[in-house]
Amino acid sequence: MVRSKITKVLLSAVAVSALTTAAHAAEDWGKFPGMTIEAKLIGGQQYEGLYGRIADWEAATGAKVNIISKKSHFEIDKEIKSDMAAGTTGWCVGSNHTSFAPQYEGLYVDLKSGLSSAQIEPYVDGIIEASTVNGELLMLPRAQFDVSVLYYLKSNYEDADKAKAFKAEYGYDLAVPKTWKEMKDQAIFFADPPNFYGTQYAGKDEAIVGRFYEMVVAEGGNYLDESNKPIFNSEAGQRALQWFVDLYQAKAVPAGTTSYVWDDLGQGFASGTIALNLDWPGWAGFFNDPESSKAAGNVGVAVQPMGSVARTGWSGTHGFSVTNDCENKDAAFSLVHFLTSEESQLAESSGGSLPTRDAVWEANLKQAKNGDDAFRAEALAAFAEGANHAFAVPKIPEWGETTNIVFPELQAAIVGDKTVKQALDDAAEGVDELMRESGYY
Amino acid sequence: MRMRRLPEWLVLLLPAIIVTAAVVLIPLLFSLYSSFTPYKLTRPSTLWIWIGTLNYEKILADWNFWSAFGRTILFLTVVLNLELLLGLGIALVINRITWGQRALRTIIMFPMMFSPILVGFQFKFIFNDNIGLVNNTLQSLGISDAALPWLVDAKLAMFSIMFAEIWMSTSIFAILILAGLYAIPRDPLEAAEVDGCTAWQKFRHITLPFLMPFIFIAMTIRSLDVARAYDIVQIMTGGGPARRTELLWTLMSRTGYVDARMGLANAMGYVSIILSIIFTVYFFRKLSAARNELGMGG
Repeated sequence: MVRSKITKVLLSAVAVSALTTAAHAAEDWGKFPGMTIEAKLIGGQQYEGLYGRIADWEAATGAKVNIISKKSHFEIDKEIKSDMAAGTTGWCVGSNHTSFAPQYEGLYVDLKSGLSSAQIEPYVDGIIEASTVNGELLMLPRAQFDVSVLYYLKSNYEDADKAKAFKAEYGYDLAVPKTWKEMKDQAIFFADPPNFYGTQYAGKDEAIVGRFYEMVVAEGGNYLDESNKPIFNSEAGQRALQWFVDLYQAKAVPAGTTSYVWDDLGQGFASGTIALNLDWPGWAGFFNDPESSKAAGNVGVAVQPMGSVARTGWSGTHGFSVTNDCENKDAAFSLVHFLTSEESQLAESSGGSLPTRDAVWEANLKQAKNGDDAFRAEALAAFAEGANHAFAVPKIPEWGETTNIVFPELQAAIVGDKTVKQALDDAAEGVDELMRESGYY
Repeated sequence: MRMRRLPEWLVLLLPAIIVTAAVVLIPLLFSLYSSFTPYKLTRPSTLWIWIGTLNYEKILADWNFWSAFGRTILFLTVVLNLELLLGLGIALVINRITWGQRALRTIIMFPMMFSPILVGFQFKFIFNDNIGLVNNTLQSLGISDAALPWLVDAKLAMFSIMFAEIWMSTSIFAILILAGLYAIPRDPLEAAEVDGCTAWQKFRHITLPFLMPFIFIAMTIRSLDVARAYDIVQIMTGGGPARRTELLWTLMSRTGYVDARMGLANAMGYVSIILSIIFTVYFFRKLSAARNELGMGG
């Protein structure tokens, strides 16, 4: 604990490079000569940088890491479920996510059994809470905390003619939207299909349900009640879904938005043809890089809009877990701790992703404030504010399954096959049946 | 005491029987058993809970399942018939060509060589409403100034996935029918020519009857293939939006692997086998009839 406090003081006092050295010197990762840790890790450009550091852990401990699988999270999820069915869970370390963790019942060990409270204390409290299921800490979070904020094209707010026309039509000044209603108004106002769209949204799978969930809460409702009974078909839920429907009917979003997920949204905003875009932190650098984005230099970042009741942020965090069947648990604990350590998080978050340790947040904010990258400072400030309103999805194994019931119904309302009420009632009926079968009530 | 010896035929067949049982029969019986359980991949112990026909009762009452079932029949019918017509056309044209026939035969097989996943991604891009090739071409040529929602609109989305499936697999029909064309004896065609038959009469009364067995074999193979259509649809639309392109296998794979409800997914699989059996029996009957007509016996 004392060492941790000292490290914190050091972190806030010196530059990032010096911090890295200090953190590196402070940690003892143990000695595990001759041991091999098998790992199943999430793959993808934004996640790979961290794995380059595994060689340092191998050199420090004498152990080896054998990455036996590296796939997208959805593919890894399917593979892990198949492993659970086949009983082939002897590998040690697996990538995990707060949205996925509750469904792997009995697979992963409680990390509190292998790590001290002093080792866990430096992580952001809320994220440790989100990573804890039924009292067990199932994963240690890496510097991949996700909450979405609003990216926008600044030029739309620097045009006097647009400002005048907007005020004449809507009766208030054109400024970066602070509420979901303002965002809808502006998206409809800016849209000029098929060349330019006001906004876009992920339209399928968990992606649309997560955003809907965020907005239901922002409207004063909730997704499930305390007994896990679906209550999203409330008036708050109807208001939330109406937002998606109105934008689609007004052609303020691309017609294909119901088939879009994150990559489509990122590429869409980078094409410079989308005015307002709710998106994750990992895209910030991409959006403002002239090599990858036509919007570069014209991108503003603001905290996510609020609903009629509150500002909310559906969030999730990537992390690493250790299996119960792992033969070398101490080495595995050391590896996941190393991959989520201060130095690892400083390195990983330097690419634009958000850390999950308080000290690294502070260091990053300080560095951005003192540095000459105004965009990075603006983005980090927006994400820091956005994170204050973040919450994870319900910690039940059935979360993913509920989203598969709900998303086709949300789509049905959006494309006009059902009314908003009918779609939400049908979705609630399906989720209700699932929850009854699962024995919640 | 003499040991009873197994008959020789059985000893000889035993390795094949054991291998077949291990790789086909046992998994089949296991999946059939699991369809009577609430088996969840993430809760292996649920494999040993017997729930009788509950999964089947659920499926029978599930409107989404039967919608996907009906959509799969529609998909199968349209795709098979168009592949037949296009394959027949391609085969007839190639059969008439005297120069470069071998090269053409190889070229028409190219689409078959692509992985279905790759084909799915290719057509997902081509039909993308915003940056896709089709909409950009239509807009550049001034034919349309709208972003047509190829993968969203109910009719256009079904058309798009059918187009991709047909693009990839028409050559199977073409190659099999071409093999049939090579096997047709010259005598009846020459006799018909001497008798003054028109090209259509020769095709209708000589070529087509000779081709029918080949056509029905192709139909049988492709009907089994198309009934299991998954990769292309999953990549292009994922069965959406709003289940507008949901086919049996996209529904089953989501239930089995994403929701981890393998017991229910296996029950869906067994019900959907009905579809394959109906099409296979129908095409085999047609095949027998076509062979009888040619005097080749049942």
